[in-house]
Amino acid sequence: MTNLLQPDPTAIGDPSIPDFAVPPDPAVVFARRARRFEELAPSSPIGPYLRFLTGLADAQAAVLAELPEPAMPSPAVRARAREHEMPPLDRAALGLDDVLATTLHRLFDAAAAIPKPAAAAEALAAVVASDRAGLAAMVSAVLAQSIPMERLAEHVFVAAGLELHATRVAARLDAAALVPVGEGACPACGGPPVASLVVEWPRAHGVRYCACSLCNTLWNYVRIRCTCCGQTKGIGYQEIEGGPGTVKAETCDNCRTYVKVLYQQKDPRLEPVADDVASLGLDMLMGEGPYRRAAFNPYLLGY
Amino acid sequence: MNMELSRRAFLRTAGAGLAGTTLGAMGFGEVEQAMAAAIRPFKLANTTETRNTCTYCSVACGIIIYSKGDLRKGERADITHIEGDSDHPTNRGTLCPKGAALLDIVHAKTRLTRPMLRKAGAASFEPISWDEAFDKIARAMKDDRDANFVATNKDGVTVNRWTTTGFLAASATTNETAWCTYKVVRSTGMLVFDNQARV
Repeated sequence: MTNLLQPDPTAIGDPSIPDFAVPPDPAVVFARRARRFEELAPSSPIGPYLRFLTGLADAQAAVLAELPEPAMPSPAVRARAREHEMPPLDRAALGLDDVLATTLHRLFDAAAAIPKPAAAAEALAAVVASDRAGLAAMVSAVLAQSIPMERLAEHVFVAAGLELHATRVAARLDAAALVPVGEGACPACGGPPVASLVVEWPRAHGVRYCACSLCNTLWNYVRIRCTCCGQTKGIGYQEIEGGPGTVKAETCDNCRTYVKVLYQQKDPRLEPVADDVASLGLDMLMGEGPYRRAAFNPYLLGY
Repeated sequence: MNMELSRRAFLRTAGAGLAGTTLGAMGFGEVEQAMAAAIRPFKLANTTETRNTCTYCSVACGIIIYSKGDLRKGERADITHIEGDSDHPTNRGTLCPKGAALLDIVHAKTRLTRPMLRKAGAASFEPISWDEAFDKIARAMKDDRDANFVATNKDGVTVNRWTTTGFLAASATTNETAWCTYKVVRSTGMLVFDNQARV
């Protein structure tokens, strides 16, 4: 009799018990993003830019398979990071090594075939011709989120390569061992989010995840809470009037910033980077208000 | 740490007044202007998401109330949607059928939003003020208590019972409200008393 299945009335339905962190799958991330950019391009005023970014995401996906194995932080470093609630990937130490240099050059080669304006082509030629020290300086600038305006276009290509590299490293981490490291900071690399997603997954219904702008790790974050400063009071949502309600700017009256929220439960095609760029109109309207953009997206700097 | 300070300026500018965007730097300035022109006729709409507790029963499930318009900005807010709060430890996003239908209660024409009185012999309810309602309830309770209060039992032992009136308190209360309710009701000698655990 003891082996009979017993009804469990305490768990009716499918309660949301979300994993804290969801590691990126590089093979899926960039291919999905490319398809989303491609899908958004025909109906957008910035269609040509979205088509260029389709090519860049496709290039990121294309070079992926042949890249050498990246160096990982040692188990001791990871254990120490976990103990002190720090991200296991140290941004300061994530400098230009041979694997990253190879990644960057392969991406630059793949990006050569993408149709692009003269300014982008010149920037690509400049990064291809750049020496190792020059590349290392650009990598540092992207990691520090402090990019010189005069050479912005070059840094976009470096940022795309760095993102590819960081995503591969983050994918090799044990996501179950990641711990919260601070407000609005990625538990894998410490980076700021590009946007947050309200998802509809098994065991995660209407749960929010922040998407890392550097390594594409997703981490669970309480809803109606500023992804920049962690405040829960004075949170509002702004969207373009008459829109489908799938992309909103989550505003915080405490730090006076906003980060976009994408409601994937309403439209599962939403992709953090692609839809952040495609919803540039929202940033333009928000720019007239009191809130500043806090999300980091190398394809949308200046807003 | 306030991250906003470190994120305020992602772009370092060397020359004064030099500003720009990724689109401009990459040679997509024209489409950027096209986007700006296309978006100009549009306005922003304020919406809010508010955490609250389901009013139905003492399980106290967390809910998220979506509304259009922002009260904080002096606008009128209309509730458009209510769903289970997935971050809430009690219900983790789930709601019972009654909780899932909360939006219909909010907008129900028959929803009780103020005290109503049906006078003896009248066919319908009519609104009265809170003061009138409290006065009527207090009067009725006092009359009943004066008439039926049991100070001592048949052996002469003091019992101070009032058994002809009962009190049913609401479910959606805090511990503190429930404590106060208990103290008030019991101090009158009332024995028939319960906190409604479910509806």
